[in-house]
Amino acid sequence: MTPAHFTFSTAFLLGLAGLAFHRTHLLSTLLCLEGMMLSLFIALSLWTLELNTTSFSASPMLLLAFSACEASAGLALLVATARTHGTDRLKNLNLLQC
Amino acid sequence: MNPFTLALLFFGLLLGTTITLTSSHWLVAWMGLEINTLAIIPLMAKQHHPRATEATTKYFLTQATAAATLLFASTTNAWLTGQWDIQLMTHPIPTTIIILALALKIGLAPLHTWLPEVLQGLDLFTGLILSTWQKLAPFSLLLQIPAANQQVLILLGLASTLVGGWGGLNQTQLRKILAYSSIAHLGWMLIILQFTPSLTLLALITYVIMTSSLFLIFNYNTTTNINSLATAWAKAPLLTSIAPLLLLSLGGLPPMTGFMPKWLILQELTKQQLPMTATIAALTALLSLYFYLRLSYAMTLTITPNNLANTTPWRLPSMKRALPITITALSTTLLLPLAPAMLALVTL
Repeated sequence: MTPAHFTFSTAFLLGLAGLAFHRTHLLSTLLCLEGMMLSLFIALSLWTLELNTTSFSASPMLLLAFSACEASAGLALLVATARTHGTDRLKNLNLLQC
Repeated sequence: MNPFTLALLFFGLLLGTTITLTSSHWLVAWMGLEINTLAIIPLMAKQHHPRATEATTKYFLTQATAAATLLFASTTNAWLTGQWDIQLMTHPIPTTIIILALALKIGLAPLHTWLPEVLQGLDLFTGLILSTWQKLAPFSLLLQIPAANQQVLILLGLASTLVGGWGGLNQTQLRKILAYSSIAHLGWMLIILQFTPSLTLLALITYVIMTSSLFLIFNYNTTTNINSLATAWAKAPLLTSIAPLLLLSLGGLPPMTGFMPKWLILQELTKQQLPMTATIAALTALLSLYFYLRLSYAMTLTITPNNLANTTPWRLPSMKRALPITITALSTTLLLPLAPAMLALVTL
């Protein structure tokens, strides 16, 4: 495993752990999701350098476009949750348990 | 909702699944899955009810996590083996991560905990799209991965059949019951994936038809829990009389269509020298059969007393669409004799 591979893998796994163990706020979950997408962006950019050709160089931009759409959808849902539940605390998302 | 927006969102659903179904590159497959997620979010949240918003948020978080993990695993595979082709994944670590990511996407045990809550927060039609259409794209990826000798597949499959049967026993809300039945059926599909992928596809197609018929009947009667299902006999007595056949087909009893995938999967497992797996799968199917029987008992085998005024809705002409119920209900009960033809159709 090359140092670059180790770096973005660690970054992604840290973001995934932060997303899986989020304790208080929905916003921190969305931030961890963005961190994961950023590590994947770095991974794809470094992959283009590994290949030494330009055939794959558009892929980081495609990933960035989709992750931006996803982030905005997440923020819209955060606003909707704040409107219906009053807060973005995760303990308040308990209407569907029964 | 504005009809143009609605048309755009349905087109987005179609586009996302089609992109994933026809892709050979992992990045394009990931894009199709993302388009699917983004297109269904407004459909789920359009009710602006707190439960709908909460269900949408939970769905979005799980699907986004699963898609990001999928892309991470395919990037790791690219760094380790040098290529992005879906059908050429040979390294075991990225393959396992991808199987787990797709299991989170479709709701297999032990990554299933979001599915009952999310399905509970949706109206029945959006729940139908979630249970049937959204499973097609991830399964196309699962069918294409060369998954040979994966212990994790059998573990996920058996855990799903067990959790799907056990978890549905204490439920009175119909959408949660359907969520647990979905988990159990997905478990059956995954058990046979590494041996005969065509049986997975057959199980998926029959599951889609059977679940659609049940969702459409519940939508027609506008019932969401067993109590209101018990008094639904006055709305459409014909639906009440065929509903036990549909429920028993979901439970996998002959001579209905639902027997076909279970029979062929058990036969294939026996041929592959896995009698213990086959026994566990068959025994856990009994658990889900119990709550299907409970639903048919409440709906058909007992006639709950209504007020006299409430016994007359069936006399009035109904404006609801019945053709989808007709097609899916007939397919759910009568397709067993076509088993050889259906098997030939799904052979990959």
